[in-house]
Amino acid sequence: MIASTLRRLDPTSLPAAASRRTAPPAASGPGTGLAVTLRGLSKDFDGTPVIRGVDLHVPAGQFVAVVGRSGCGKSTLLRLVMDLETPSGGRIGLDAARAGSPTRRIMFQEPRLLPWARVIDNVAVGLGEEGTARARQERARAALAEVGLADKADQWPATLSGGQRQRVALARALVSGPGLLALDEPLGALDALTRIGMQDLIERIWRAQGFTALLVTHDVAEAVALADRILLIEDGGIALDLRVEVPRPRRRGDPDLAALEGRILDHLLGERAALPETSR
Amino acid sequence: MSTSPARASARLSPQSGRWPGARARLLPWLLPAAVLTGWQAASSAGLVSTRFMPAPLDVLAAGWRLAGTGELWTNLGVSFLRAATGFLIGGGIGFLLGLANGLSRLSEGLTDTTVQMIRNIPHLSLIPLVILWFGIGEEAKLFLVALGVFFPIYANTLHGIRSVDPQLIEMGRVYGLSRATLFRRVVLPGALPSVFVGLRYALGIMWLTLIVAETISASSGLGYMAMQAREFMLVDVVVLAIVIYAGLGKVADALTRQLERACLAWNPAYRAA
Repeated sequence: MIASTLRRLDPTSLPAAASRRTAPPAASGPGTGLAVTLRGLSKDFDGTPVIRGVDLHVPAGQFVAVVGRSGCGKSTLLRLVMDLETPSGGRIGLDAARAGSPTRRIMFQEPRLLPWARVIDNVAVGLGEEGTARARQERARAALAEVGLADKADQWPATLSGGQRQRVALARALVSGPGLLALDEPLGALDALTRIGMQDLIERIWRAQGFTALLVTHDVAEAVALADRILLIEDGGIALDLRVEVPRPRRRGDPDLAALEGRILDHLLGERAALPETSR
Repeated sequence: MSTSPARASARLSPQSGRWPGARARLLPWLLPAAVLTGWQAASSAGLVSTRFMPAPLDVLAAGWRLAGTGELWTNLGVSFLRAATGFLIGGGIGFLLGLANGLSRLSEGLTDTTVQMIRNIPHLSLIPLVILWFGIGEEAKLFLVALGVFFPIYANTLHGIRSVDPQLIEMGRVYGLSRATLFRRVVLPGALPSVFVGLRYALGIMWLTLIVAETISASSGLGYMAMQAREFMLVDVVVLAIVIYAGLGKVADALTRQLERACLAWNPAYRAA
């Protein structure tokens, strides 16, 4: 699957320009994704509730962005789905309906590359111990090519820029062809231009591979640009569940997107404006 | 993160610009050469009594003499073998126990307190006891060297494992690495820079312990050679032994550096200049 998307990519074009190309990839669609179902999911830390009884169904292949103010529990929700935290109550169902891959992968806010492993070996970490070492290397090389870093395969992570490291982390997350990709504010530490390039790269690969994507972000514009559906989390629950009907490829600055972004921001800021009143 | 030494070792002026190649390599030897020259000049001019401090050329002659009779090589070989064996035993145990205690709470709970108590005993204070136990045989020296080398390797291995970036370990877990793979690919390489710090300390302690032990109770080795020379007032041989210690220290340090560069090439702080 990676190999098939590879051919579509001109390795010299950097992510920024890539997704603006018109024709949508043929292989897109929910074929490999994992459906995620949460039933009454809750989590508390030392008695303080962080997630309060969340019910949610994410169909296979959907791109969901989770936004909210810091401390609202959006990262915890993601970590629960990734099995990085144990729920205090409720259930998490993961359903690989058809040819879906059961693999879940996460991209963290930091690249978390092994500094003592070459770039190619870092990507191969995503494959675990499956197959021969040679086959792993080949797949890792293909995944690196997909994020436009084929020429960095034999370098140490320390020699890469922040954006390049995050692209290596993306290749590591995708090399095994996961059914679910969780993204925990992966672009938060990047500069604005690099971030847009990465967004386009993620969107393009998602459209080609059809995995389910869960993106936690504090950047509403990023959520609006990438997602099929936006969840606004407030006080550990889903306060807003919006569909983004704007067709892809989306243009940055599209009025529909701007309107949607405004609506979400109003909700987030309205909450802040309301605070002094309630405390009175 | 463990890559931070990069910043610590950052020099203000890049060496390559002003001190290219050979000149940069000669620079560290400038000071020793100057000291030797001054010393020789002072001796030749009669400013220093050769009864207490022989001239460098006399020391060289003593070295030549002893190398000719084979005495030097025998003693050097004996000392080297003792140092290496003691180092391997003590360092090996220290490394393994450090690993065990870094990875297992049970193991640490069981042994760490005991190790810390023993660590606070100056190991050279055991010499009288060791002589009573082993006489002046090989075991006495090996025991002392192994004991001295054990602690720095143990403590630094343990610390290295403790300080492996927990974010990397979480990444390894969520990416489904088995415990063995996690250890081999994440924990051990992460602990290695700290293990090397322990290794360097241990090398210093290794020589110190061996020389003291050989000076006090031995019938061969470099320390014994120096003690014998003192009995016969052969000051040049005494100084020769001291110079050899300096040389051996330098060799051990250079070897460690090479090993670090090979094992820690990923770390900008250790990359070959």
